Amino acid sequence: MDKALADFVEMLRYSDVPVSISESVDAAETVRLFGYKDRGLLKTALAQVMAKTIEEQESFDRCFDEFFSYQINPDLAPDETLDEEGEETGENPDSSPEITPANDDDNSPNPASGGGEGGGGFSGEQSESGSAAPLLDMLERNDRTELTMAMTAAASNANLRNIVLMTQRGLFTRRIMEGMGLDDVNREISRRNKEGDAEGADQLSGRLELLFDAVRDMVERQLALTSSGKAKQFRQDILKNVRLSNVEHRDFKYMRQLVQRMAKRLTDMNSRVKKVKNRGHLDIRKTMRRNVAYDGILFETHWKQKHKDRPKVLAVCDVSGSVASVARFLLLFLYSLNEVLPKVRSFAFSGDLGEITSDFDRLGPEEAIPYAIEKYGGRSTDYGRALEDFKELCLDEIDNRTTVIFLGDGRSNGADPRIDILKEIKLRAKRVIWLNPERKSVWGSGDSEMLRIAPYCSTAETCNSLNKLELILRDLLKSN
Amino acid sequence: MTFIDKDPATAIDLIKDGFEKAGYICDRHIATSIYLSQKLDKPILVEGPPGVGKTELAKAASEILAAPLIRLQCYEGLDESKALYEWKYGKQLLYTQILKEKLGDLLEDAVGLEQSMEKLHQFGDSFYSEKFLEARPLLQALQSEEKTVLLIDEIDKSDHEFEAYLLEILSDYQISVPEIGTIKAKTKPLVFLTSNNSREMSDALKRRCLHLYIPFPDASLERRIIQTRVPELEENLRNQLVSFVQQLRTQDLKKLPAVSETIDWARTLMLLHADTLEVDLVRNTLNMLLKFEEDIDNMHSEVPKFIAAAQSERM
Repeated sequence: MDKALADFVEMLRYSDVPVSISESVDAAETVRLFGYKDRGLLKTALAQVMAKTIEEQESFDRCFDEFFSYQINPDLAPDETLDEEGEETGENPDSSPEITPANDDDNSPNPASGGGEGGGGFSGEQSESGSAAPLLDMLERNDRTELTMAMTAAASNANLRNIVLMTQRGLFTRRIMEGMGLDDVNREISRRNKEGDAEGADQLSGRLELLFDAVRDMVERQLALTSSGKAKQFRQDILKNVRLSNVEHRDFKYMRQLVQRMAKRLTDMNSRVKKVKNRGHLDIRKTMRRNVAYDGILFETHWKQKHKDRPKVLAVCDVSGSVASVARFLLLFLYSLNEVLPKVRSFAFSGDLGEITSDFDRLGPEEAIPYAIEKYGGRSTDYGRALEDFKELCLDEIDNRTTVIFLGDGRSNGADPRIDILKEIKLRAKRVIWLNPERKSVWGSGDSEMLRIAPYCSTAETCNSLNKLELILRDLLKSN
Repeated sequence: MTFIDKDPATAIDLIKDGFEKAGYICDRHIATSIYLSQKLDKPILVEGPPGVGKTELAKAASEILAAPLIRLQCYEGLDESKALYEWKYGKQLLYTQILKEKLGDLLEDAVGLEQSMEKLHQFGDSFYSEKFLEARPLLQALQSEEKTVLLIDEIDKSDHEFEAYLLEILSDYQISVPEIGTIKAKTKPLVFLTSNNSREMSDALKRRCLHLYIPFPDASLERRIIQTRVPELEENLRNQLVSFVQQLRTQDLKKLPAVSETIDWARTLMLLHADTLEVDLVRNTLNMLLKFEEDIDNMHSEVPKFIAAAQSERM
């Protein structure tokens, strides 16, 4: 695979297009088939090989345009200056004997010309890069391909890919130019000036300026590409760890995506368990196989119907004033769960408890969540009453496949939390999970009933960031 | 269809022309994926809203490649015995019966139990052999001597497990039958998988396929499609009709009208001998385009506006 493509693949991976190894092999094959000439065609073809969803396709299109605009067709210097000074190419004072493996065959320098002073000029700072392409020579000949190759090589030596911050632009531009042999060109310009060849000096510095622009462009693009990808990743990581109450409204959308992805993964993990039922359609194949030994008389039967053990979830969310700051997110989690899991019944309470499943089904999250808060929130919490209501509504429905999730702080304003009902629920349900936005150290302080509640839950955990939430749920499902 | 050895651009144009002759108007994207799938031996996962011609694509491909189409319609609960293979139980049972009857003759000269067993083991065991294998669509496609087009329709309706069965076929064009071993494709079929995205396909499956997304066509493409499919329709009306549908698609509807609905509507208008769009006519036939009562109600008042816009738009 050529280096340009490898870089492109890496760039895609940063931009949320997860290109697997087999896909990049296909991409290399595609490039071999199509070549870089017809860019539109190549884009279409590569997109089908590498981008596998519509969102990925969008990222891909953006990356492709950005990336290949300089990789393949560099706008280095205007064409008209091409042949003007062909005769001067004879003298090329610098050419270093060492070439990096990265800029392999295309720009091998003329080994014959005297390379004495060339190597020393820029070896001070960039000694590790070793990319001492005969820049002057390339500029004189105005060889776009070689210049681009040298530029890419110098960029990779300068680790341009690691650029993250805006403030690094100047540094990287400088490093790349120096890596390409800027010092020698500058020396040549001043030599020409001294010798009175003002025209030659101007032309060279003009071309150098164009090269500078091209490098600057490249750095800009790289910054735009990597930093956007990295910044997004960074942001998601932060979001997962930030306390739920601190997340601002503008992050709500991201949050929702995260929750959705998480909830989906949880269901995928959990809905695999299956049992074969002993009724329904006969699985003739299996039955036959079992009964060959009995002379084809079918007395060991196998049945086709399998039972998918989809988890049944009852979720109860506290939306009272004490948890107001996190209620939105607890509800959001509930909402996403409702979207992904087929059998979720959601309830909200502060004083009275009510079912909000149908509201969730009917409304989008932007409406449903404020609606639920408005409808059930605002009153002071009474866990006792809520549990009584809950018992009345759906205790009969709780069986050994049901998971009951409580989201709340367990502060009952002094009212009896009716631990006995919780105990009853615990006895019937497969598991009872209590997620509390408060830290464990304050459990039991003031009107918090958490210390009484916790023994009757399979799990009672602090849950104040998405990361925590994810960890808790994953552990739970693993131990399933 | 001999485009394989041509250079990509020519080959893709050839494919496009071929599709057009088969009555399927496609853009470069689609032609490119057909070319790529032939070159890279990869299946194509076709996604897009319902009614944009995903299944038609496979049918047209089978036509231009002159390869028979084998179609597998996916649904929840589809399993390997319906998609891959099944044993011919009846014949297997008969076989054991025959074996029992013949056993005496066969073991005639054997002395003692041990010798009989040895003799028995010498016969080929054909109870589980290809003779008793009933090929279902996927196996048929692999067993076919000539090239086939395999259409796995609405893969998103199938279960996760079925998706896993498919992986072996999609990457290596082979399937494993536990009792026999691996059956490899005699000729690699051209495989299309279509999905309406009612559920996300697994990464493993997506990785093995080329991904082709067919969106709603733009106005000029749609006009050409209508021209090909309903050639009797007058040009003026065709332009108005396409413009009208395109406007509908910008609205917030439960289900946007797809190409197939545009074609149906064009046929309807032709049957009614319409020569221009009229408010009443459109309102009465709106149910050809919109499939939800709510959508029809919402669009009822918009109809005159759209018609005016469609008629003022001179192509």
